[in-house]
Amino acid sequence: MPEGRFCNKQTIDTEESLKALLADTGGRQYYEEMNALDVDHKALWQTIQKTCKSRLRTWLDLCAHCGLCAESCFLYLVNDRDPTQVPAYKIQSTLGEIVRRKGRVDNAFMQAAMETAWAKCTCCNRCGLYCPYGIDMGVMFGYLRGLLYNQGFVPWELKIGAGMHRVYRAQMDITDSDFVETFQWMVEEYEDDYPGLNVPVDKEGADILYTVNAREVKHYPEDLAEAAILFHLAGENWTVTSSGWEQTSLAMFAGDWAACKMQVESVYAAMERLKPKRMVGTECGHAHRATVIEGPYWAGRKSGKPPVESIHYVEWLAEALRTGKLKIDPEKRIKQPVTIQDSCNYIRNHGLKEITREIMSHIVAPGYFVDMTPNREHNYCCGGGGGFNGIGLFRPQRNKALITKRDQILNTGAKLVIAPCHNCWDAIRDLEEEYKIGIHWSFLKPLVMSMVIVPEHLRPEE
Amino acid sequence: MYQFLTGPMFWIALAVCLIGLTVRVVLYIRGLNWQLDRVAYRSYPKLGIIGALRSIGYWLVPFGTRGWRRQPFMTIIFFGFHSGAILVPLFLMAHNQFLAEKIGISFGWTLGTGTADFLSWSVIVCALLLLGRRLALAEVRILTTPYDLLILALATAPFITGLIARYELGNYSFWLTAHILSGEILLIAIPFTKLSHIVLFFATRAQLGMDYAIKRGGERNAHMTW
Amino acid sequence: MFTKILLATSATPACDHAARVAFNLANRDQAEINVFHVLGIPTRGYSQNVLDVKTGESVIIDDAYIDRVIQELKTYYKLQLEQTPNHRLRAVIGLPHREILREARDYGSDLIVMGGSTGDPEDIIYKRNMVGSTLQRVARAAHCPVLVINRPAASFWGGISNVVFATDFSKAAMAAFQFTLKVAKELNAEFHIFHAIDTGAAPLAQLPPQDDIDARLREARRRIMSEYGAQLEGHHDYTVEVWEGIPYMEIVKYARQCQADLIVMAHHSRTMDLAEARLGSNIEQVIVRANCPVVSVNH
Repeated sequence: MPEGRFCNKQTIDTEESLKALLADTGGRQYYEEMNALDVDHKALWQTIQKTCKSRLRTWLDLCAHCGLCAESCFLYLVNDRDPTQVPAYKIQSTLGEIVRRKGRVDNAFMQAAMETAWAKCTCCNRCGLYCPYGIDMGVMFGYLRGLLYNQGFVPWELKIGAGMHRVYRAQMDITDSDFVETFQWMVEEYEDDYPGLNVPVDKEGADILYTVNAREVKHYPEDLAEAAILFHLAGENWTVTSSGWEQTSLAMFAGDWAACKMQVESVYAAMERLKPKRMVGTECGHAHRATVIEGPYWAGRKSGKPPVESIHYVEWLAEALRTGKLKIDPEKRIKQPVTIQDSCNYIRNHGLKEITREIMSHIVAPGYFVDMTPNREHNYCCGGGGGFNGIGLFRPQRNKALITKRDQILNTGAKLVIAPCHNCWDAIRDLEEEYKIGIHWSFLKPLVMSMVIVPEHLRPEE
Repeated sequence: MYQFLTGPMFWIALAVCLIGLTVRVVLYIRGLNWQLDRVAYRSYPKLGIIGALRSIGYWLVPFGTRGWRRQPFMTIIFFGFHSGAILVPLFLMAHNQFLAEKIGISFGWTLGTGTADFLSWSVIVCALLLLGRRLALAEVRILTTPYDLLILALATAPFITGLIARYELGNYSFWLTAHILSGEILLIAIPFTKLSHIVLFFATRAQLGMDYAIKRGGERNAHMTW
Repeated sequence: MFTKILLATSATPACDHAARVAFNLANRDQAEINVFHVLGIPTRGYSQNVLDVKTGESVIIDDAYIDRVIQELKTYYKLQLEQTPNHRLRAVIGLPHREILREARDYGSDLIVMGGSTGDPEDIIYKRNMVGSTLQRVARAAHCPVLVINRPAASFWGGISNVVFATDFSKAAMAAFQFTLKVAKELNAEFHIFHAIDTGAAPLAQLPPQDDIDARLREARRRIMSEYGAQLEGHHDYTVEVWEGIPYMEIVKYARQCQADLIVMAHHSRTMDLAEARLGSNIEQVIVRANCPVVSVNH
């Protein structure tokens, strides 16, 4: 059977096809059609020949089958050390096999590979740190996802997600005017409390261009307000952009590299148009990874860097606290056991581990901060990364994966978990919903808001 | 037989090994692609080199990385095997004398007899332990194929035959020949099998080191061991 | 008095009294009523799953599901809707307080009507991590008055003959005052201005001497007259009273004494102070304890 109505090798490029796919509740028909989806062996092998080069080939060939990666993988550990969860096994039995068989694999194989790629790996890159050869299976699973996506074997929610980016240049159906409108609405809501609060739009030459996560616009606009307020209190010369404001990329989780390119290019276009000194992103891990770390390569930028210096929100916050742009009232610091989640996308994969701890030193009263074990670049994935949080088909596996983080948190004895990343925040919320260990969790913005000292000249008249 | 093995066969084996390894490295480097790999190799040469060296360095030191430290048993038998596997072929007095005769140069410094014996035994004992590990641990067993066992056998055979010859057990001539033959089979096999990790270890480690140094946090001097 | 009423309802018995008042108002004023229901809270990251507030189950939302919910709303309020032809119904997903505020803004409502606590099961997770209740967050930020009917006893909106306005002399209180004035004039009601001196729940040893309290009572009366006096000119039926005690308790008692049909207050409009929000501000307590509807006005 050639292609299904919903499950096929085409990409979602129109609002119409996006709505149609959304209407297939839960992907019921989509997954049924997937059982009949053909594998285009020729195309698959051609793609591999063109894109699977030294680095990946050598990784696949050279693997010494030593099994040292097993203990590094939280999914292996949390699934009772199931040998089929050993990272090397997972990648060799999928990508390794496809390469060995020169693309001659069948539908059942591809569906199993889909489950492995999206339910047995969150691309947290921890295994790469523990392999003596430096084989990064997280990177290989990213590559595999690309192959699977091209062939149409991708989870329903991610096909939609990639479609969202293609149609709206955002992970949700939020238009540019929705974004600006919502930001302005938030400013209105808070202006009484913060006289002079405003959101500059499309200001050229500002010090900071702020980019966000579309779901903040859709469901959690308080986040936008908090960001605006903190920039305002810090006296920053900042702006948002009316187009190219979305920093996230579900397309990256989906393996849709073409859509990834389109998405980051919209942000880079804004940077080039408005020429800010720096771009600051919101508290989101994969958004930073997509737009700042991997993005330049999708966009063909030889420097490997976006058009302007781009930093994660925690870098801006640490700097603001360090330089005194934001001052904290010592009485209002956190005085309960608190720990911090090390989001893989900017801790392990961008080295910001000490930055978040610097922030802790400002906002937590001495003696209350407890690190997880292990921590920093050796910390484990929250359990929901790489798109795991949103895929209905793999919910049970995701819920199991949360146990690792749950146990880490229990071991710290913390009552509050700080998670400066939307995915980690979601995962920890779900962890609490599922296992009820009695914790609270928070982004940094609301915490800082509750303890920041408002400068005299910015206080409202009483 | 002996003449053949120490004559033309030696040259062939050595050539195949050295040329083969060079080809592998060259092919590896040529097959790197900054955009597909998503690492701006050429744009940050200094960062890249430092990253590459750090990555190689930390993993070459026993317990130098958290990975090694978390697996003490494996670390010990790994380094126990490799130290002998590298030092003995290169610095055994007998090998150096042979090289001096054939090529006219040798490495100068050689191992003392006791050290050489110890290292050779270390190789064999550690190889057995590595084999045991392969069979005993479920996470390694699932990965193990006959090919892995063959590689281990290929690499260990010269040491076994070498020690037998060294202790002059049985027919000295036979075991010496067996030793030279197994050594040359090993040399020829190196570029065509996973044994090419002799150079590719450095290549892949350097690559990952550059990746992390250039793209994933190296400029922050984050003191991570990748 | 009102043209566009936004009834934010959970479509459960907890909101029945609020609904009754809202529909009554709509009929009296020939206003359009927007029956607005937040049916689910997003729950799975970027996916289409939401937590259905009624069933507590995780469901995937599509247009058919929303239509079914709207049908349920129509059935639940069948009688009232039949009597109020000028109506619309909306069911959305999101965090309740946020969606109510969004709808109020987009719809341009001039009054929001809400019931009290919906009695959601304790373990609805989004509530755990939110500071302040839905009511607090809506009342804090709404640009139009918010009418809250918490208890059946508080649901009477027949004739309004007595209105109590409780002030804390804030800027928002001025807006609340002006709203009360409008209501009292239109309905020809008695207007009672009240202020409570906060002596709090201080132990005996820390209470100030009575002479001090008396002085403050006098000062407060003077302040009421100076702040609101000018605007009261022409309105003959008003009284001024100042009592000491725990503010919300005094307000409730005073309203009971006046046989008030409506209490109007300003919601404390400062940014959510975590500690304060947990304890609940005065208006929260008044809403929970009063015998009549309470209106919160900020702007």
